[in-house]
Amino acid sequence: MSQTVQSAGDGSEGDTFLWPSMSQLLLREELDDSQRASVSLKAQKNTLLISHGRPPWYGPDGKCISDAFVIGVGGGSASGKVANSKILFNIYSVGSSDSCRTANSESLGFNSDGSYPLTSQRKLSLSFDWLVTGFTIQDSFYKYHSPEEIELAFDSKFDFDHPDAIDMPMFASCLADLKACRQTNIPVYSFAEHQRLQETKYAYGATVIIAEGIMALHDPALRSLYDLKVFVQCDSDLMLARRITRDVKERGRSLEGILEQYLRYVKPSYDNFVRPTAAFADIIVPGQNNSVAIELISTHTRRQLQERSNSFRPKMVTSSLHAPSLVNEPLENDPNLMILPSTPQLEGIFTILRSKDTNNQDFIFFTDRLSTLLVEHALQFLPYAPLTVTTPLGVGSHGKKLISKYLCGVSILRSGSVLERGFRRVINNVPVGTLLIQSNSMDGEPLLLHLKLPVSVRHRSSAEETWVILLDAQIGTGAAAFMSIRILLEHGVKQDHIIFVTFLVARTGGITTLRRAFPHVRIVCGSVDNEMREGWLEGDRGEGNEDGVGRKIWVMNPGMGQIGDRYYL
Amino acid sequence: MSTNGAPVPPPQPSLLKSTALSNGTVPPSVFTLPQTAQLEALYTIIRDKDTSRGDFLFYSDRIIRLLVEEGLNHLPVVKKTVITPTGSTYAGVGFEGKICGVSILRAGEAMEAGLREVCRSVRIGKILIQRDEETTQPKLFYSKFPQDIAKRYVLLLDPMLATGGSAIKAVDVLMENGVPEDRIIFINLISSPEGLRTFSEKFPRLKVITGWIDQGLNEKAYIIPGLGDFGERRYCE
Repeated sequence: MSQTVQSAGDGSEGDTFLWPSMSQLLLREELDDSQRASVSLKAQKNTLLISHGRPPWYGPDGKCISDAFVIGVGGGSASGKVANSKILFNIYSVGSSDSCRTANSESLGFNSDGSYPLTSQRKLSLSFDWLVTGFTIQDSFYKYHSPEEIELAFDSKFDFDHPDAIDMPMFASCLADLKACRQTNIPVYSFAEHQRLQETKYAYGATVIIAEGIMALHDPALRSLYDLKVFVQCDSDLMLARRITRDVKERGRSLEGILEQYLRYVKPSYDNFVRPTAAFADIIVPGQNNSVAIELISTHTRRQLQERSNSFRPKMVTSSLHAPSLVNEPLENDPNLMILPSTPQLEGIFTILRSKDTNNQDFIFFTDRLSTLLVEHALQFLPYAPLTVTTPLGVGSHGKKLISKYLCGVSILRSGSVLERGFRRVINNVPVGTLLIQSNSMDGEPLLLHLKLPVSVRHRSSAEETWVILLDAQIGTGAAAFMSIRILLEHGVKQDHIIFVTFLVARTGGITTLRRAFPHVRIVCGSVDNEMREGWLEGDRGEGNEDGVGRKIWVMNPGMGQIGDRYYL
Repeated sequence: MSTNGAPVPPPQPSLLKSTALSNGTVPPSVFTLPQTAQLEALYTIIRDKDTSRGDFLFYSDRIIRLLVEEGLNHLPVVKKTVITPTGSTYAGVGFEGKICGVSILRAGEAMEAGLREVCRSVRIGKILIQRDEETTQPKLFYSKFPQDIAKRYVLLLDPMLATGGSAIKAVDVLMENGVPEDRIIFINLISSPEGLRTFSEKFPRLKVITGWIDQGLNEKAYIIPGLGDFGERRYCE
């Protein structure tokens, strides 16, 4: 699908995950392990897949600029909704490649051969499809069944084609979350057990969402979420013919069984619930020979997206916004920015780390020492409550206890991971998530390439009670810090539960914008550098930058150099 | 820890000399760590008799690391200017003087790992001091030091300062080996006020870094509330 599939990371790992993107409107989605197994990317070493990242989607005030674009696709079973969706997907992919951004089918959950991973019962489902979107797996939204209903289901006597079989409020709430750029956890339904499972599937960050299913246009709450409603119209006899062909060939079912089910459930359901929803559609598409209709939809959608893009583009956090200011911020007065108290040892450590002549071994050793001190310092901002314990001598001792319900680290790759050893020396039993944020080689804008967040952050209810220690080596332009905080907030983490731990902050850098947008986030740093100096970065030849054009960058002065390179290379 | 939402800036480590003892003030040569809620939480874990050995190791190591970092802050530094990768000069400081650790067996050995994490491949001497059953005085049984110990700053390691008997004996031994009093820094996790007073009256120029000053001693000269026998919990339980 994508012409030049490259990968960030060292290539050996299967979890390098890429997002396709369309112009400025992007999408991404987190795959679970089973799906990741089907991702077959030919990864190369040391390559940055710039065209597959997600550029900023928020304004300088830290607020999300635009909701996701949601398309609802309804229509009868075997009417061709999936086919239409697939075609739409292909059109988006091709369209987006014009701007050097190619969608990548694998990352969207398609099988590596581009085929749609059908489950045998998908005809019964109401589902999201994952056109150019984060998706929610199909058949997810059947209700939790009572034992009696399960018995009926195993006898094929349960009416899965009735709207009541589907948990519409949950569907709507998941879709509303995604539309509002929040994470959601989609239920997983097992057809083997005819039951909703305990596990859920995490999804976050889609910019275009396609909700596809026979009942997609049935529920008013759902309809109100769609930006575009599509109904796929197909003759009943044609749908039946397709159904028979498919079920006999692919599922080995008997003709009698198929017809009985069709007459008992599928046909009444279509007549009573599905066909009437055509009245709600913005556009009705024929179930065959529909290339013109598809073209119309995709043109319309693309224009809509473009309009949104144009309107929010000027408001986006761009590299110019992250350019250094001339103002010397009195950071020392900021109650939420803690600078590690200066001591002779700290001064000495910084002298070693700042020197260009420091060898690799020393750099690593003193970086680890510094990060240990920083994380120790950061921990005092967690909540504590009194606790009395008994010592081995049998004496009571009044002390304190950490009371944060969930605690985790999140490191911003690559240079945030240089703080991880220090983090682990201090906190040994919490998860550490990662965000891979890299600068676009052309304009230096931050791009989100991958995210893997701790479980407590993935679920909104627990995210609200999670304390996150964000790790990055420095805050210069603040672009990566800005993006990562934005991501955590979208997951429901509270601002004052985020502690950003970093070696250096540039006084004249993006810290001003960052403080203004997220005043309650605490920042713990080792030192403040006074200057951002203009530098030049030699371009890497790569996708979107075939000529290897270099670009202007901002470097901290005196700084510590390229901390990630010095630590790892 | 915080008032009206804004966290109080942490106290400067070396400036915090005013922690009041239950009966008097801290001698000027004694330094404690910033008494934060977080540090209190660390101590609460290692004081708890029900804490597992793994947790005891991990959390006592964290305190030891902080203590060693604080101890190192009392070593001299010299001005040093370096060139940064951006090509500008940075006026910083360089570490001055050689150091070595000396642990009082056996509990003091538990602090060596923490020391080495902060001071890579530092030399470590050992002293074994036991109570002489006849005289009830501490007696030197064994010592092994780096040859040039007289030229080094010595970080003396013992987790608990109770009566101060063995620590005083250890310092005597070090001074017999030519180490000046003001070049010794004694690092411990928990002190008794009595022990601190005895020790620092005898060696007023020797700096003591202690993590926490407890209430006092019981009739068996154990620190109250203390944490039990550090070496026992670290190695044997």
